[in-house]
Amino acid sequence: MILIGELSLWVALLMAAWSMTVSYAGGALRRDDLVSSGVRGLYATFAMVLLASIGLWTALLTKDFSLEYVAGHISSTMPRVYIFTAFWSGQAGSMLFWALILSMYGTIAIATSRSRNRELVPWATGTISAILVFFVATTCFKANPFVRLDFLPADGRGMNPQLQNPGMAIHPPNLYLGYVATAIPFAFAIAALFSRRLDAEWLGVVRRWTLLSWFFLTIGIILGMWWAYVELGWGGYWAWDPVENSSFLPWLTNTAFLHSIMIQEKRGMLRKWNVVLVVVSFLLAIFGTFITRSGVIESVHSFAQSPVGPWFATFFFLATGVTIYLVGTRLRDLEAKVELESMVSREAAFLYNNLVLVGIAFAVLWGTVFPILSEWVTGRKITVGPPFFNTVNIPLGLLLLALTGIGPLIAWRRASVSNLKRQFASPALLGVVVAVGLFALGMRAPYVLVSYALCGFVTGTIVQEFYKGVRARQTIHEESLITAFTHLVARNRRRYGGYIVHAGIVMLFAAFAGLAFRTENDVTLKTGEAFDVRDPYGHQWRFISQGVSTSNRPDRDVIAVGLEAFRDGKRVGIITSEKRQYLDTQHNALFTPITEVAIRSTAKLDTYVVLAGVRGNDIAELRVTFNPLVVWVWIGGFIMMIGGLIVMWPQAERRPVQAGYAATIRAARAPAEIPAGV
Amino acid sequence: MTSRRQFFARIATGSAAIALGRGDSAAGAQQRGAMHDSNIVRDTTNLFAMDQSAARSVRLPPKPNATPLLTSAQRDELEHRLRCQCGCTLDVYTCRTTDFSCQVSPAMHSDVMALVQGGYTAQDIIDAFVSTYGERVLMAPKKSGFNLFAWFTPGVAIVVGGVLIAAWLRRWRNEPPPAGVARIGAPVDATEEELARLDAAVRGDDRE
Repeated sequence: MILIGELSLWVALLMAAWSMTVSYAGGALRRDDLVSSGVRGLYATFAMVLLASIGLWTALLTKDFSLEYVAGHISSTMPRVYIFTAFWSGQAGSMLFWALILSMYGTIAIATSRSRNRELVPWATGTISAILVFFVATTCFKANPFVRLDFLPADGRGMNPQLQNPGMAIHPPNLYLGYVATAIPFAFAIAALFSRRLDAEWLGVVRRWTLLSWFFLTIGIILGMWWAYVELGWGGYWAWDPVENSSFLPWLTNTAFLHSIMIQEKRGMLRKWNVVLVVVSFLLAIFGTFITRSGVIESVHSFAQSPVGPWFATFFFLATGVTIYLVGTRLRDLEAKVELESMVSREAAFLYNNLVLVGIAFAVLWGTVFPILSEWVTGRKITVGPPFFNTVNIPLGLLLLALTGIGPLIAWRRASVSNLKRQFASPALLGVVVAVGLFALGMRAPYVLVSYALCGFVTGTIVQEFYKGVRARQTIHEESLITAFTHLVARNRRRYGGYIVHAGIVMLFAAFAGLAFRTENDVTLKTGEAFDVRDPYGHQWRFISQGVSTSNRPDRDVIAVGLEAFRDGKRVGIITSEKRQYLDTQHNALFTPITEVAIRSTAKLDTYVVLAGVRGNDIAELRVTFNPLVVWVWIGGFIMMIGGLIVMWPQAERRPVQAGYAATIRAARAPAEIPAGV
Repeated sequence: MTSRRQFFARIATGSAAIALGRGDSAAGAQQRGAMHDSNIVRDTTNLFAMDQSAARSVRLPPKPNATPLLTSAQRDELEHRLRCQCGCTLDVYTCRTTDFSCQVSPAMHSDVMALVQGGYTAQDIIDAFVSTYGERVLMAPKKSGFNLFAWFTPGVAIVVGGVLIAAWLRRWRNEPPPAGVARIGAPVDATEEELARLDAAVRGDDRE
């Protein structure tokens, strides 16, 4: 099976090359036979890449240590589930994984849109295959997981125990599923540009796949944050690391696109801009993979030594060049068909939302690549770390949060003063009440106050929208509250699913702002000694060391410290933090020792205890951190995921008569008063 | 085929790195560091091996009759601005208080302590670290010289973008509509409930 897998990889390369060539030729010559052959070539590529993947999985699960990849990433004592996930834990495997997902997505996208988008299919198939050629070729020539060792190791290296975590098992595939999904809208955008079919035809496909990409990136990013928080033990969940940033970038442009596409759907505007966003999202996904894989950020010099770096750079510039050429030569086809009626309209609000989202993406990208630029221009290495990103992005984030509330309140086309007054009064009041309340409670930090005021405002807008919708249904259909609510969401999934996502965003912002009150304490405790400290809410905590204990298990040595915790004199329980040294079958140390953080989570506060070290027999060096509201990051992420699912859930097409009726009503009604569906 | 020697060498430098997340950059950093720094201990048991040789001595003679000018809170704040050089990407304070396997951040911490004891100000200490390690020891670039480009470009880009959008919207609004696009009439007078009904009808809420 392993040999079949290895051979399949090479056949996949040939198939993808064939599919690319005949699809483009079929598109250019308008030859249906070539197009069909190209599509079948894509399906065959998927089958071959799948076989290759099964080959690698077989090698991993049968622990064939003669393969360098297997010997380098698993060991015989590892749990089976992590042997399975070792597939994507290394460079070669993750390249193959990219190819696997892309060929699968490509097959699904082409199979489901073949009949509807006949003009686009040849070009889209060709483009997907071209991307596949790149990934499969890179896998074959530069990062081949089937390379054999000239000796047979007794055991493999194993996987770093920090990665043997459920979050880490599902975080990378989610990110990949998100990254790779940007390739499908890209392929269809390229197809639309090639065939000059720049009407609404490609919008449906592109929107669905962008939504899918957004959904998986959201899950991937949140899981990555969770993993960093519980496993790495440095006390936070986001460090503006280049690798984190590169997953955030396509998420931002995807989000921008999911908003601006509504303007194109409803008003026929922003056609050029939407093509640009689709293309940029894909290029950023490639850039993200490139950053993760090439090491270019750490030093420009390591780039040339990375086996895949130059390949990625070539592909990146080629894709950029082709797109610029295509957009440049088709500007006329992308002209808007209607005019803008007012500066105060949802269209205008969405434009500013796009500006801020893309602005944040630019700032993050800029900060991420600036060290390279600096080294290149001045020869000096510098660090662009969290202080930079926070300074630049906090104001932009708050602006975005404000627009999250403003956008849905302003009518399409043109908002009247009465519309604005009626829509904004309650949410704005709620924002002000929150700000005044917190100020009265003694909160003074301006960013934090603004942040919570805006959270109040946006929450107000969301509640108001749901309230109005439910009231309308209750009045018309005499439905109960629950039924009205369910029907409201079920029948307007995009709009109300979107509001649910916004609710998740509000929770995230509230949690981010909470970190302004985080406190850190360095503590050294002997057995029986106590440490007294106040948390950010003013509660008095006491931690009493129960002593340092050591234990030896077959796969690890453990040093643990237990703290008996009291809050305001009431016993909370024992909090235990550990250091673990994992061992191989011969009891040799594997990897560096790792921290098992003790986290006590409540809705208001996380108590985060890290055993930093042990002196002598019983002196524990600890860090006790109080992180307010962290749990809302995970809840907010979950709510965003639910909202995303609601938006994505397929909805039956509206009856044409309904559309006609709606159009009649729209025309008869005041332009200001149509808070049309999102 | 890969020989035993190549295989272990590769593992030692972390090229069998992990997929994504901070961990990857740590492993990658090690790999990248290893390519350039032959002083690294090639510990084949450790994928996440850090560059434990990265600490350099930052010592200045104590000032005469020196008294510490910084409180321990101020010192911790200062350490938040210095980057640990082991490759972990954390600041010195966070690294030394959470990662007991790192030998670099404690060394940097003891240098900071010595400088504080020697009567130096926060700025003196920062300058001393920069002169030893270069500017990369700072968590964020100084706001001077070429770095100004880093700090101000995003803001400038957003402002320019905003102005462009405003100008474009204005032009767009003033252009006569293309043929076939009808202007919509003046607002109608309607009660809240009527509007809600209309809303529901437009959205298809009444569809059973």
